[in-house]
Amino acid sequence: MTSRLAVEGLGHRHAGSGTWALRDLTLAVEPGQVLAVVGPSGSGKTTLLRLVCGLLRPTEGRVLLDGVDAAAVPPERRPVAMVFQGYALFPHLTVRDNIAFGLAVRRVPRAQRRARVDEVAATLRVDGLLDRLPVELSGGERQRVALARALVRDPRVFCLDEPLSSLDPVLRVEARRALSALLRADGRSAVYVTHDQAEATTVGDQVAVLREGQLEQVATPRELYARPATSFVARFVGTPPMSLLPAAALDVPARADVLVGVRAEDVHVGAGKPYVVREVEEHGHEQLLALDVGGIDLVARVPLVMNVRVGETVLAQVNPVRIRLYDGATGRLLP
Amino acid sequence: MTRGAGTAVRVVLLVVLLLPAALIVTGSLRRLGLPAPSGLELLPADPSLSSYRDLAQRVPVGLLLRNSLVVTGIAVPLTLLVASWAGFALTQLGERQRRFALGAAITLLLVPLPMLWVARFVLYLRLGLLDTLVPLIAPALAATTPFTVLLAYRAFRRIPATQWEAARLEGASAWQTWRRIGLPQVKATTTAIAAIAFVFHWGNYLDALLYAQYEDVRTLPVGLAELIELDASDQPVVFAAAVLLALPALLGLLVVQRTLLSTTDRAAADMD
Repeated sequence: MTSRLAVEGLGHRHAGSGTWALRDLTLAVEPGQVLAVVGPSGSGKTTLLRLVCGLLRPTEGRVLLDGVDAAAVPPERRPVAMVFQGYALFPHLTVRDNIAFGLAVRRVPRAQRRARVDEVAATLRVDGLLDRLPVELSGGERQRVALARALVRDPRVFCLDEPLSSLDPVLRVEARRALSALLRADGRSAVYVTHDQAEATTVGDQVAVLREGQLEQVATPRELYARPATSFVARFVGTPPMSLLPAAALDVPARADVLVGVRAEDVHVGAGKPYVVREVEEHGHEQLLALDVGGIDLVARVPLVMNVRVGETVLAQVNPVRIRLYDGATGRLLP
Repeated sequence: MTRGAGTAVRVVLLVVLLLPAALIVTGSLRRLGLPAPSGLELLPADPSLSSYRDLAQRVPVGLLLRNSLVVTGIAVPLTLLVASWAGFALTQLGERQRRFALGAAITLLLVPLPMLWVARFVLYLRLGLLDTLVPLIAPALAATTPFTVLLAYRAFRRIPATQWEAARLEGASAWQTWRRIGLPQVKATTTAIAAIAFVFHWGNYLDALLYAQYEDVRTLPVGLAELIELDASDQPVVFAAAVLLALPALLGLLVVQRTLLSTTDRAAADMD
């Protein structure tokens, strides 16, 4: 099967500064799949989207859409729609004119335009807002209008740049669910960029972690959580992220420079060696303890009923089967 | 400052600004042939329009007015187009080209106009355009002054770049992006540029003096300037000429003041 979207050895270098925003990236997105791209700011996420939709030209490598090299296809002819960060709605146009903009510039007949806008607006529940201006909309409504504008051209691939970042947290959860369904409907695919790893793992079928323009790992959310491929991913993914400690500190038999990655739920509290509690963080039904292991935090997840205070000493041990070992120099996961 | 004091300051400002204008209007209504008033005369004892009639006999008002209207009627829209296109184009350039273009525009602003007089004179002479209205309209081809380009650029720059990109992804051409996305969001600035261009071209005395001496192509500023040679008892005629020159500008201002003072540009930029 040909992938809906694939990038091969893709790289982009800033013309001015000469630095690489993205380097040697190879990824594929299948029909009906959402690829979440996550990484800290400056990791090349937005550059990837701009290369896919054609706003930027690759310095090296290729973008393939349904198996066809997109290099010769101008942005407006690609079956790709973009939802910009902050939405980039046209403030002087009504919701209807915003959604219809692409149809209008392509001289689609008025009646046809109207019908298509009505249809898309109904899908996204903005049909009651068509005569309003963007300033008169709430954040959630603006987001839906931006989606409608993207949807109106019936794209095969959605590119979304932080689509939820300007919504308040309550609205975000609801919008994320609605979005998840919409992006996969009718065999569409999506590239979903976010800096929030929790959002990436909930929305994405696959999650790609970028760092300084390079791919650290691409995997299913489950795999990403269970086996982070690098110490960077281990520190980035999960709430809380993995604790990384020198092998010697946990009595793990390994080279001195090896780092041991431990998930909070794999730290058993109640037996083992004594550690001082440096911090207690309550999270509803559970709490996170930061244990002092030779000056480095080992985070443990324990039930709320366990009554622990900062400064106390507790016994704890790490489940030796579930730990991951990382090369101290390269950060790579050791087999 | 208290509210009362604020109002007082405003009244004083208004009087200071409006008094000369009012004196010109009332002065133009003074009957001809009387000796000049000894002090300020707020309203002539026996107002009359005789100065206007006299003005029409001394200078070909209709011809001057027609030429001035032709010049501004072409030069103002042309300035708007060129400044707007240039300002829009600047926002679409890469960082490096943009810096170069902006630097060039600012450098050009520093060139003293007299430096261009001879060069332009020779140019118009060779092109056979001396003593036509073309030299008076020509500056509009360069947006009248680089200042209008910078103004337009600043207005367009306030529109987030993602809007240009969104338009491009939808398949809008540069023309469509300018016309449908850019221009509607910079109405106040466009009006301001129109006002600047109007003031320049309507009152363009120097260019007219240098390049359009021929009787048929004289414009209001040159034609009316001759009246300076009249003697003091004919002062109302000079005032009448001044009123004639100022009136279209005032009427224009009344028409556009709503757009000029509106906050449309700002609101658009604030939203994103």
